[in-house]
Amino acid sequence: MSDGQTTNVPDAGHGLSGVAMSLEAIERQVQTRFPSLATDIAFGELTVHATPETLVDLLQYCRDDQQLSCEMLADLSGVHWPAGEHIIERQTSTTGWPEYRVSRERGVVEVLYVLRSMTRNHWFRVSVGTDDEEPRLPSVVDIYPTANFHEREVYDFFGVEFDGHPDLTRILMPDDWVGHPHRKDYPLGGVDIPYKNDKYIPPPHERNLREVIR
Amino acid sequence: MTTTEPAPGDAPENEIFVDGADWEDVVDAVVDDTITVNMGPQHPSTHGVLRLVLELDGETVLRVKPVVGYLHTGIEKNAEYRTWVQGTTFFTRMDYLAPLHNELAFCLGTERLLGIEVPERAQVIRVIMTEFNRIASHLVWLATGGMELGSTTMMTAGFREREHILDLFESQSGLRMNHAYIRPGGLAIDVTDDFVQRCEALLELLPKKIVEYEDLLLRNPIWNDRLRGIGIIDAERCYALGVTGPLLRAAGVPYDLRKAQPYSGIERFDFDVPTETAGDSFARFLVRIEEMRQSMRIIRQALDVLPGGPVMVEDREIAWPSQQALGPDGIGNDPEYIRHIMGESMESLINHFKLVTQGFTVPAGQVYEAIESPRGELGYAITSTGTNKPYRVHVREPSFVNLQAADEMSTGLMVSDIVVVVASLDPVMGGVDR
Repeated sequence: MSDGQTTNVPDAGHGLSGVAMSLEAIERQVQTRFPSLATDIAFGELTVHATPETLVDLLQYCRDDQQLSCEMLADLSGVHWPAGEHIIERQTSTTGWPEYRVSRERGVVEVLYVLRSMTRNHWFRVSVGTDDEEPRLPSVVDIYPTANFHEREVYDFFGVEFDGHPDLTRILMPDDWVGHPHRKDYPLGGVDIPYKNDKYIPPPHERNLREVIR
Repeated sequence: MTTTEPAPGDAPENEIFVDGADWEDVVDAVVDDTITVNMGPQHPSTHGVLRLVLELDGETVLRVKPVVGYLHTGIEKNAEYRTWVQGTTFFTRMDYLAPLHNELAFCLGTERLLGIEVPERAQVIRVIMTEFNRIASHLVWLATGGMELGSTTMMTAGFREREHILDLFESQSGLRMNHAYIRPGGLAIDVTDDFVQRCEALLELLPKKIVEYEDLLLRNPIWNDRLRGIGIIDAERCYALGVTGPLLRAAGVPYDLRKAQPYSGIERFDFDVPTETAGDSFARFLVRIEEMRQSMRIIRQALDVLPGGPVMVEDREIAWPSQQALGPDGIGNDPEYIRHIMGESMESLINHFKLVTQGFTVPAGQVYEAIESPRGELGYAITSTGTNKPYRVHVREPSFVNLQAADEMSTGLMVSDIVVVVASLDPVMGGVDR
């Protein structure tokens, strides 16, 4: 099991040139260049918490720096942290399942960038949050062209507008879909059915998310 | 036939619609000589429901725009409402040609959050099963790729041998595909007594068959003409476009996550990372053939060191009862355990019930776990908030990312070469659309 990437320095059969940097060394280097950014190491992974303003500079620096040398954007994904008391599990009273609560002052869509150096064999994560009312981030397609599909996916699922993206359209959901389904405030309740048990059921996008349909 | 009447206001003046007329009339009416053609989503050569919008100048392709999403099933969203163990049954259905890799990546991520180490026997069996899965996946690639280029012999041969591997999977997990065999904490069930024997029979059979494929294709003039020099992509563009797996290795970069970030104890085994330098479809064919051989090398070594012991962690907070034996009906049961929970211990029954219905809780945190799937880097970005369900699971699907390269690889080629390019990309739409 890989318990952290730094221990696995490429061996002779691997054929890659550089030597992996330790997480602490990456952390130091990033913080020297961007002193305002917070970092943390957990589960053997380094996360750099960027801001929308510093994101492009940070990624550009990580790609071009000789030491960090992150040639590849391995992954780009979103996580929605809604504001307020948000309960997803409604069966607590019957099964004793843990409640699924998220409590925040301000709703955030967190976008995670996994930067990987293939020549040096290390990687770390850049996390950036944007307000979930009007999520907006600069696009990194110019730095990493692979972000094209990923950003379209995050737009599709979370509604994050990526400024400067060449073709920001839905990718996995149908073009005429309403809403962004991976957001936690996206109303669930299945397909659009006009009524059930003599009760009118509004279509998903007009539905109150706290309303339980029985 | 063709209408050149512009709709007032919006449509450009030279827009032409084809409604069942002579092709020549259409071509005559086209002013700027480029035609946009839809290939798919229901097309036998697009590996499932992939739609390619081709912009053509005569026969020459100027642009390819992949349109995906026809197979989107919302697996990531579904997983947020399922327990961690139930999650494996969903993720195994993403990339249906490499189900065990999906299970493994998800379970490795979950185990890292849990901070547990799975028993050695489970790790070795995981390696054996995923490497067999890699061979099976490459065989399907060879089969469907051959079929798309008109070699139906290759198709029947590839699927024939894959069926033997699926028989092995069925004998161990009860299912040919979508096994849910690898679970957080170990394996669903221990292997049968004839497991090693079955694996060795396969290792006996497959090398001969691979030689057969090489005899059939390696010097086949059609195969060479269709594949050589088609769909070239170099290492630099692979980096830029996030392309990994056999495509990257065919472009000369010996990057393999099994070497770079070994998982499941795979670093103990001796194997090579095959590379080619041409970066074309033929190089990818050679790389995949060699990868099958290397996978067999790993399996042979793994069978030699297969240790005894449990295949699931001992922790009863996490572990599904793992001493099950596969019954003649294909369903695992453990009479001893059932007698214990039903007849002896009320607390064990409660624990079993809670484990099955409620599952276990996983500490809060975020991990990104990547393994080398047959198509490249398969990454699971898992976010947990400390409950019995994942808060969010995002899958970095190699098929999805690699598909972006289709445009660059196809520019300047003929329409018929698109089939080769897509085949050599080996996208699995279940994985692309998730």
